[in-house]
This record gives sequence, structure tokens and C-alpha cells, in this order.
Amino acid sequence: MKIVLDRPRCEGHGLCEEAAPQLMHLDDEGELVLDREEVEGADIALANAAARVCPVAALRVA
Amino acid sequence: MSTGTLDRVVVVGNGIAGLTAADTLREAGFDGELTVVGDEPHPAYSRPALSKALLLDGDDLTSHELPPTGHGATELLGVRATGLDLDRRLVTLDDGTDLPYDRVVLATGSRARRLSDLPEELTLRGLDDALALRERLVDRPSVVVVGGGPLGMEIASGCLTAGCRVTLVSQGAPLILQLGPHLAGVFVRAGLERGLTVVETELARLERRGESTRVVLHEGPVLEADLLVSAVGDLPNTEWLADTGLAAKGAIAVDPRGLVRPDVAAVGDLAAVRTPNGPRRVPFWSSAIEQAKVAARALVRGDEAPPLRFQPYFWTEQFGRTLKAVGHLPLDGEPEYVDGKPGGGPALMRWPQENGTGAAAALDYRIPVPRLRRMTQDA
Repeated sequence: MKIVLDRPRCEGHGLCEEAAPQLMHLDDEGELVLDREEVEGADIALANAAARVCPVAALRVA
Repeated sequence: MSTGTLDRVVVVGNGIAGLTAADTLREAGFDGELTVVGDEPHPAYSRPALSKALLLDGDDLTSHELPPTGHGATELLGVRATGLDLDRRLVTLDDGTDLPYDRVVLATGSRARRLSDLPEELTLRGLDDALALRERLVDRPSVVVVGGGPLGMEIASGCLTAGCRVTLVSQGAPLILQLGPHLAGVFVRAGLERGLTVVETELARLERRGESTRVVLHEGPVLEADLLVSAVGDLPNTEWLADTGLAAKGAIAVDPRGLVRPDVAAVGDLAAVRTPNGPRRVPFWSSAIEQAKVAARALVRGDEAPPLRFQPYFWTEQFGRTLKAVGHLPLDGEPEYVDGKPGGGPALMRWPQENGTGAAAALDYRIPVPRLRRMTQDA
């Protein structure tokens, strides 16, 4: 599975980082960085949790 | 206390709280029969977007859409729960069906409080409300918004951006009760600069006079507009639980794991969670998500599941300005400036509190929530 970021939508809340700090973080400018894009196994649930928490639906796991 | 077998879970409510509960039940290992009941025909959506991006975005009607669900539940949408039998463990639906459960999640949220039964009084709570309001704004009507909380201010902001003349009626100064004087002042000034008219009143009511509906202020003045929108709070949807005695004061009081009893969880806008200020509803997006995660795990694992560690996250966008805040609001007094300076410009601020539970806020300042949270701990 792959994490897909719709960057124009991202408002930098960072709730995704709280849900899945192993997979993504916001840099010093508040831009979201995907540390891993390809996920498998238990990380898929983490990626889904990150996508779910985003209030502007900027993340998808496909 | 044994709660017996765990083969069937019913989640009543398909907002973000119900959806997160369903997701988390699966993550916690529940692989039995999962049913989600939702009274709206739509899949779950982002409610915060309705009064922000969805009102403002030109042709983009997707800002509220959430990723597709992966919990594999049987979804009964457009169906309302009408009763709960705690002894027989049954949820009754308005189509006459009884759904048996081993565990149940109560997540029916809340609805807009109204000032009248007049159809001219619009409210903004659900997706249909937002789409209807958007459509009305196309003709640039004059608008009166009654309600000076964050929602009323966001609606006023959206209407102004759509090109409407907007009057906001507020009980006392807008946002004071929710945000405290410092941040309230920032947003009220931003609204006034953009042409918002603010009218403070002790009490407002709506009345119909002939063909038109108007806002009558306690002090005497009467306001008329093409469009009337109220945003005066929300009421928990707990009437369907009347026979259970769980919602004696409207909201449902839950334990630190979101449980009412070992087989019943209550999450989201209808739940009164334990806060430093006592049991309170905390009807915010991230609050609903946190509550749902904790409670769903507790339904599966019982006391082994961790309790809620709660620090609310709140954000708003209005009149061209954005705020992110962590901690319990409102924030009294003036802030300490971590970055930026007094005057209402972009700033990173914190409000230390005596009990050690500080709060932090970022105004027009991009910062991840985890960093904002750490600032409250340093405070």
C-alpha cells in the first residue's frame, strides 16, 4: 500500500504525525514529510489512522 | 466483571466518532460482526470543513470527504436508532429492526440548537445544511448570523467572502466565552476590518412578521435580512436513550475509558468526559477521535486498555486568519510570546496555568500539533 499526500490540501495541523510518527512528520516550516510512502503489515493500520484523523482529508492510503 | 462473548458490536452513529470507533475495534482485534448505523444517507465526512473550506471553496465540493472506510462493517445508513434495551442488549431502529449486540458504541452526536421552529432559520450542522447554505449564498443575500461563537464567526466569515453584507448578533462580545479576551479580540478586529457588523445583545429571538422573519433584540432593535442563520450551540442526540436513564442531564457521563458500563461506550459530542473542570462535553473533531479510540479499545480489552489522556485541540479559520490551540479554552489574560510579539500579528503564544496544564496557541503560524503540545508541557 502507498500513502498519497494531496499537498495543496494539507493545512499542517499535524494530527497525522501524532497518529503515525513512524511514517510522517511536519518539518520546521510545517510542511508534511512522508518518511515512508510504501507501507505494509501493521503499518497499514497506522497509515490509515493518520489518513482518518486529517480534518481536510489530505492523506489517502491506496 | 465479565461481559461474556464478543461476537457482535453495534456502533450507533456514523460521524467521525462512530467511524473511528469502528476502525479501532478492528485494530484492537475484534473480527466479529460489526454494524454501523447512521441517520444520514451520506458516508462519514469531515464536519469542521463544512463551515470552513466547503463554504469558501469555489467549485470544490470535496473538502469534507474522508478516505473510504476499511472496517468492513455492515453500514445501515439513512436509518435512525430509536431505543436501547440494556438488559436484552438490543438497539431498536426506526424501521422496526432490533439489532442484538454484545457491545454497543453510542455515537449519535449532537444537533444544532435552534431559536425557533421557523423554516427561515437556517443552521449549519450537517453536510446537507452546508450545501443548502452555499446555494443560498450564490445570490449574495444580506445575512444575519445569530451566535458569536466560533461557528457563528466562521459562517459570518464565509458569507462575507461570498460577497454578502453580514451582521453578527452575539450575546456579549463574540468568542470571549470560547477563546478568552485576547484571541477573541484578534478575530473580532479581523472581522470588523473585513466589513462585518457586530451587534451585541443580552438576548435575541426570531419572529415572523407578515412575510418576513426578523431578529428581535432584547434591547428593542429589530434586524432584518434576506438570510437568517443561527449558531447558538448544540444539543446531544440522546432522546433515543431516554428509557435507559443514561442521559439524565442530556449528555452521557462516561468513565476515563469512555465506558458507561463494560458493554456500553459513549463517544463524541454526546459524551461528558472527565476534564480538569469536571465532566464536560468537548465537542471537537480531535476530541471525538481520541475518545473513540480509547473507548473502542476498552470495549475489546477492558481495564487493560489505557484511559483517555486528554488535551483538546481546537482550530478555526475566519476573516483570513487561522488559529490552532492546544489545551482547555478559554484562555484568560495575556499570553507569553514564544515567537512574534503583542499586537495581534502572527504569533506563537502560551498561557501557563497554575495547575500545570498550560495552553498554547498559534496564530497565522504553521506549526505541527505535537510541537504545540510540547510547548504546553514546558510552560
